[in-house]
Amino acid sequence: MSLEAKHRIRRIIIPGVLVILGGLILIQFINRPVFANPPVTGDFQAPQDVKAILKRACYDCHSNETNVRWYDRIAPANWKVAEDIKKGREGLNFSSWSALAKPDQAAKLWEAVNQIQAAAMPIKSYQIVHPGTKVSASDLLVLKNYLTEMLNNKPSDTSKTNALDKQYGKWVEGAANAPKINLPVALNGIEFIPDYKNWQVVTTSDRFDNNTMRVIFGNDIAIKAIRENHINPWPNGTIFAKVAWDKLSDKDGNVKTGAFKQVEYMIKDDQKYGSTAGWGFARFKTPKMLPYGKTKLFATECVNCHRPMSKNDFVFTLPVKN
Amino acid sequence: MKAIYIVFPALILLSAACSTQPNGSQLINKDASLPSSFNFSKMGLKVISTAINKKNATMCTLYGNELALKTAIAGNAPQPGEVLAMITWKQKEDEHWFGAKIPGELLSLEIIKTTGGQFENIKANYQRYEGKLLTLSNDTTGNEKSMRYIFAQQPSVMP
Repeated sequence: MSLEAKHRIRRIIIPGVLVILGGLILIQFINRPVFANPPVTGDFQAPQDVKAILKRACYDCHSNETNVRWYDRIAPANWKVAEDIKKGREGLNFSSWSALAKPDQAAKLWEAVNQIQAAAMPIKSYQIVHPGTKVSASDLLVLKNYLTEMLNNKPSDTSKTNALDKQYGKWVEGAANAPKINLPVALNGIEFIPDYKNWQVVTTSDRFDNNTMRVIFGNDIAIKAIRENHINPWPNGTIFAKVAWDKLSDKDGNVKTGAFKQVEYMIKDDQKYGSTAGWGFARFKTPKMLPYGKTKLFATECVNCHRPMSKNDFVFTLPVKN
Repeated sequence: MKAIYIVFPALILLSAACSTQPNGSQLINKDASLPSSFNFSKMGLKVISTAINKKNATMCTLYGNELALKTAIAGNAPQPGEVLAMITWKQKEDEHWFGAKIPGELLSLEIIKTTGGQFENIKANYQRYEGKLLTLSNDTTGNEKSMRYIFAQQPSVMP
């Protein structure tokens, strides 16, 4: 190396490195997040092996027992860590587990295991820095077996039959009447679309995780896209309507649809719904069609659950061609 | 040895970035799809109900024309001019959702068309197509039972 080159190193590179180092030191004092563990109010209970896996893989962001390592406290990483913990606890917090109703607990667990199975959780960047949090194939099997063992395979009790009977009479009467004028509207402005039942079927689904069964309808744009295999991404204007009913099961294992639970829409418009993965989400519950969600931000919940399908345009459904 | 600490995370990042997006046809449920030559969707039928048989691990969807749907909702006896169609599949695991079963292998499509006069004069023509290619079956055993089953389906509540 020539003398001149050595001088250049001294003149340019060394001060550059110092500036970067100085910057790194400086940002340690900016916006420093406080890592606090609020009290555990009702911890998740499960067999030892199940709990150990979830504690190791999920609890850093999904509980009030976060273990913040020294390297998590260094800026700029600490900002991301704090954000992950904040969002994680909002979506699912094992430390306040007992505050959830039983069906909500089950739904959260099935979703969590599906997020793990799809490799969407634990978050990749977190896993790389914290290699011990990986969920192995055998861990996943332990979790799946735990969920499967909790399933109720008994015939439906009379409360479900009664719920259907109560709805059915009203529905039959209403079906003969003129369509409603004032349609319910979800908080993000999406209106209930009564025409869904005249659309073609994309698929059906037997959700044994929550004892419901579904028909997923698609509007003409969706059906045309399916016919032409143009479904990744789906074209703008695509609308899905997913109808869910209770499963009514008799002692011989014949299952029919029970009470109507809800209809959910996904409307594709990559401009209008850009902030929610290009889809407008809405859910209307019970035959009264009560819009789901407390604030306009309810759709982030939808997107979060659909995120493992980001390579499939956020759609779980595998369409059947008719 | 130290290189592995750099190369390994880099490889993980790279593989995550490069894992390909499936194309549209890969996402179609081909096992369950009807042969396009059958033109089922052109019949313009609407969903009446859907059901599952746990013992056989099958699921079916019943469709009907406007009249069939109306008759079923009103709970009336079959009228002439009804078209009903029931598609049955073997169930399979949903590869996108642990906790769901979706249509798998296509088993059959049964079509009933009613003609004739009112009440006991009504005639019902029953046809059964079987298998992946929906081949018309000539076997008439069990037709009566199948028809009774289809006519007995209670419509699913769709407000």
